[in-house]
This record gives sequence, C-alpha cells and structure tokens, in this order.
Amino acid sequence: MSRVKFFATLRDITGVREINVEGVKNIKELLEILYSRYGERFRKEMERKNMILVNGRNVLDLQGYETKIEEEDEISIFPPVGGG
Amino acid sequence: MENYFYSLDILYHARGEFMYGYWGKILRVNLSTGKISIEEFEEEFVKKWLGTRGFAIHYLLKEMDPKIDAFSEENKLIFSTGALTGTVAPTGGRYMVITKSPLTGFIAMANSGGFFGAELKMAGWDMIIVEGKSEKPVYLRIEDEKVELRDATHVWGKRVSETEKILRKEFGDKHVQIASIGPAGENLVRFSAIMNNGHRAAARGGVGAVMGSKKLKAIVVRGHKRIEVIDRKKFISVMREKTEILKNDPVAGQGLPAYGTAILVNIINQNGLYPTMNFRYGQFKYAEEQSGEAMSKKYLKRNKPCYACPIGCGRVNEMDTIGETEGPEYESTWALGANLGINDLASIIEANHMCDDFGLDTISTGGTLATAMELYDRGFLKQEDLGDAPPFRWGNTEVLHYYIPRIARREGFGSILAEGGYRLAEKYGCLDCFMGVKKQELPAYDPRGAEGHGLGYATDNRGGDHIKAYLISPEILGYPFKMDPHDISDEKVKMLILFQDLTAVIDAAGMCVFTTFGLGGDDYRDLLNAAFGYNFTTEEWLKVGERIWNAERLFNLKAGLNPEKDDTLPKRLTDEPMPEGPNKGHVVRLKEMLPRYYALRGWNPDGTIPEEKIKELGLEEYL
Repeated sequence: MSRVKFFATLRDITGVREINVEGVKNIKELLEILYSRYGERFRKEMERKNMILVNGRNVLDLQGYETKIEEEDEISIFPPVGGG
Repeated sequence: MENYFYSLDILYHARGEFMYGYWGKILRVNLSTGKISIEEFEEEFVKKWLGTRGFAIHYLLKEMDPKIDAFSEENKLIFSTGALTGTVAPTGGRYMVITKSPLTGFIAMANSGGFFGAELKMAGWDMIIVEGKSEKPVYLRIEDEKVELRDATHVWGKRVSETEKILRKEFGDKHVQIASIGPAGENLVRFSAIMNNGHRAAARGGVGAVMGSKKLKAIVVRGHKRIEVIDRKKFISVMREKTEILKNDPVAGQGLPAYGTAILVNIINQNGLYPTMNFRYGQFKYAEEQSGEAMSKKYLKRNKPCYACPIGCGRVNEMDTIGETEGPEYESTWALGANLGINDLASIIEANHMCDDFGLDTISTGGTLATAMELYDRGFLKQEDLGDAPPFRWGNTEVLHYYIPRIARREGFGSILAEGGYRLAEKYGCLDCFMGVKKQELPAYDPRGAEGHGLGYATDNRGGDHIKAYLISPEILGYPFKMDPHDISDEKVKMLILFQDLTAVIDAAGMCVFTTFGLGGDDYRDLLNAAFGYNFTTEEWLKVGERIWNAERLFNLKAGLNPEKDDTLPKRLTDEPMPEGPNKGHVVRLKEMLPRYYALRGWNPDGTIPEEKIKELGLEEYL
C-alpha cells in the first residue's frame, strides 16, 4: 500500500490530507485515478504546474510521470507553489 | 518649536531635464555636525548603478575605509530607493539599507517592502546618506523639501509600534511613513533590524544597530510628488502586461496570495531540507502543525500587500493573546520553530511579533537561540551560566518568551546572545555549534538538499543568506525550470551567478524578488527601458548586476575578507552527511564547486578580482 499526501489548495478539493492506494504502477496511472476521483478542478490545478515527490524526491529528477510507485512509497502532491 | 534642531528648506527643487524615474537628489545628513545638505547625481550614474545597492556601494567605496568599525562615526548608513520605487511598476515600492555590518564585518544590504520606500521617493529624495553620530537621540523628519532633525528623547527606548504611533501623531498626518529601530537597535544588538509599517523589516546584517549607534531613532517621511517616467502611456502599457503575467502565474497569482510564504513549510519539509534543531536533521515531524495551511486555517484574518503589489503575500493574523499581528513569514516560522525543535505555532507567532516590535531580525534571533541550544545540549553551556533563566532545551517555548526581550534590552544572558551566534559559539568554545556564514546565521534551507543553494550561502556578499540568489527556485520549486538539487555541474554554478546578478538588478530596480516566479530577465528589461527610455538589452542590465556584485565583493575584500576562510560553510554541511530523509547521505560538495565559481566569475583562483575584470566593469576608480 502507498500513501498519497495532498497539500495547499489540493486539500480543499480532495477534502482529505491523504489517501492510500494499492497496485498503482506509476505516477501517470496515479494521476489518472486522482483525476477521475476528484474531477476537473483537481486536473486543472495540477495541469499548469505541480510538484510531485516520491519519498521526498521530485519526479522531475527521476523518470517524470513514468516514475514507478513501489509498495510503502510516500507520494506528496503540491499544486504550483513558491515563496522564500 | 523646542524639538527643532536643524532644518533645511529648499525653495527650489530642481529636476534635471533628462532625469526620469529619479529626482537626481541625495540627502546627506551628518549627525555629528547636524548639517543637512543636498547632492545631485546625473543620468550616467543611473546607467552604471541603477539604484539601491548599486548607488550605495559607489558611495561606500568612495567615501569610507571598509576596514572601519561598523559602530564608529565613520560608518555610513544609506537608505536608497530603486529605479522603479514609487512608480506603478508591479511591486515597485522597495528600498534598501546599506552599510558596513556589525555582525559580519562586511557589506550589509537589507531590503524592505511596505510603503516607506515609495513615500521617500515621492518626497523628492532618491537616497539618504546618514553619517557621523548624534550625541542625543534624534529623528529625521521629511516633508517634501522640508527636512529637519528633531529630538527623539521621548521615543528612545520605545518599541516599534509605540514609536510609530507617537511619531505619526506628532506629524499629524496618518499617511506618513516611518522607518525606525526598536530597543534592539538602540542597544546595538548585532542583528537588529530597521522596521517600517510595523512588521516590514530591513532585517539582516544588523543595520538597525548601526542606526542605533548613530542615535537615529527614526526617519519620518511624507511626500506629495509624482514620479515621472519618460513615456507614461508606454510605461503603463508595459506595467499592465507584466502585472497580468504575475496575476496569471500560478505561484505569484494564486499560491502566494492564498497561503503566504509559509506555504513552503510543508514543501521544504517534504523535500527533506527543512533544517531541524540547528541543522541536525532535514525534516521536522511537527512541520504540518506550523505550516502555511495550518496558519491560514487557524489565524489568518486577511492579506496585506505592500505598495503597488499585485501578489499580496503579506498575512494579517489574529490571536487572542496579542490581537492582530503580521506574519510570521516562512523564514521566521522556521527560525523560531523547527530550528529550535519548537512546534507550538501560537508561541512562534507571538515570538515573531515580539521580534518585530523590539526590532530584531527573526532569522538571526532564531539562529542564535539554536546555537545556544546546541551549546547547552553538548555541555559547552551550563545551567550555572544561566542562573535562574530557562534552560536551552530543544523545544522549550519558554526560551522564546524569556530571551527575546532580554536580547533586545541586553539584560542578563540576553546581552551575550545579543552578540549573535558566532560570538556566542566562540565564547563557549564550540565554533562548529554555529550554523552560519561570515558570522551571519543561515536561513531555512539545509543545503545538503540543494547544493547550488549551498554555494550561494558560501559566496553571498552579506553572509548566510537566501535572498540574494534563491537557487531553491530551480533546485526545488522548478522555476524557471527544474534542476537536480544534487547536480553540481558548471550549469548549476552558472545558474547561481545568473541569479546573483539578476537579483542585484531586481533589488536596484526597487522591485520584489517574488516577481521572479512570473517574470524573467526580459520583463525587467522592458520595465526599466520603458521608464528611462533606454534601449538596454537584458545582457546590458545583467552587466549592471554583475558590476554591483563585484563592487560589493571588492568592498568585502578591502574590509579584510579572506576567501579561503570566509567563502565557506559550517562543517556540519560539508563533512557530516544528512542523517535521514530524502537527502540521506548527502553533503554539500563545496570544494568541488567553489574553484569553478571563481573561474566562471572571471576571478582569480584565490577568489580575488583580477585587474581585467575590474576594468571590464569600470571599477578602477574604487581600487
């Protein structure tokens, strides 16, 4: 089982901070599941820019949306964010 | 008027025929003699130095021996506006305070938002050079051309909020803008800030202490002039275009307004570089409880933008204990929270409020307390050294409430803390317990999780600092594009140099660095060219940034900077691998990056600036 954590405005859409998923192959597949579960608003929030981490590592530094998800992995999903 | 000391009435406020964006006017205030005079500058000066840091470094190099003691009469304290300060350019309201730092011994250049900078420009002044020392407390009162030094005995010792209240009432105009110091600056706390609009701070490097050493309590300003640009119609159209970009940008237009800078708490923590307990760890298990999300839900009352800002990241929070306050920003939340092992958000907000009101830099206050906690934990600092005062145990919120006022007033052990983390660590025999660069406490990113940012810390002209080259942007946040945080190739080093030079341009333009989430080099070029009527390329503006960076480096070298000893990081970050989390096993490979940084900067292998570079940048006159 993998844990998926939501942050910032995504929480307003999902209504929860985290969910568990099982048997999801990669990030691409996970996003499809999330899009169908949380609808257009979630997709829109994610499409322009986002940050997806697998165990704290940005998928852009791994294999992008092809990055594999293993059992016990923790996935953190942020909408576009910045600060300083 | 019995408070009336010296005054200057300028009947005719001339404007050079060619001068746009600026008035070409500098106010020079000598506090030793009480003399106030006006100087002018010409357009060539703007083309060479652009504004704020650029203007100031010219005067510091020309008029002052960088070796002098920061608290001596010879030190100059410069308040400078930027090229677009006071115009309608998005975020064009910023000013900077530049001086020799009593904390680092090198250049201090602190930047602040709010409304003070724009008001100063609207009063007809581009820059104020404060020199000498007053015998008794004074404040500078500016109402357009009318400039006076007045007695400030009645506000000396008062906190920032009260000082602002009294001086505003005295002025009799609610629109007056005030930059002042609190008790911390008066008592020469080496990391004290200059505050405006209650909670906006020119915070770092101890600029408030220099103001205190000169017995200048405040600058009170009211202006009624409109800053002209060469082609108002064109400028407004460029301004609208850039404002639109910012409004549509997902970070500048949505993320920052919704959650403020504290949105970073969860991001940086999840990425494993949220410094915890004096940089021992890179993740704090209570981060969620002090996150931007939690803060907005519990305490947010409304947003509060600075002058001409379409972003509006400022937060007004409300608590039962202290009523309305502003902040804390991400950095302050961390410095007064996770870095001390403290998880209670209410205490963090109260501590931030206290720092603002006493006029303390939150980052260095937190960093100094973290040094004390490490010293205490490792037995260098003992309870007998503290007497009845609270122990420096990780997570002890009492430390915040007890020590912050005592640091500002230099009472008891607070007086030792007031010297900053480096001097504290030195006194108790553990320099490795201090997490800072060039004697200034580090901000809220463990560079073992962003190595380019670590090179930025090591080479920053003002010491441990994140805002003069925010490599977190590409390394973590993915702006303008994503770079691997553990890539240390030449591309990364070049990116740092570009960020350093571009930030100098943005600072000198009087704009906020948060605009970089939406705008790029060409956008700043467009705004500046539209204001001045120049045809500079982006590269030419970046050359101005490079000139500023090199001139500041020159100041530091003349002040005694030893690159081998000073362009460095605490041992923990270069020698001790991150113990856990996503960056487990990583250190900052500074030794591999630094020689390439010097080479790509066009510097000598020993970190000094060669003659050719000095010539190329037109800095010969400052040698």
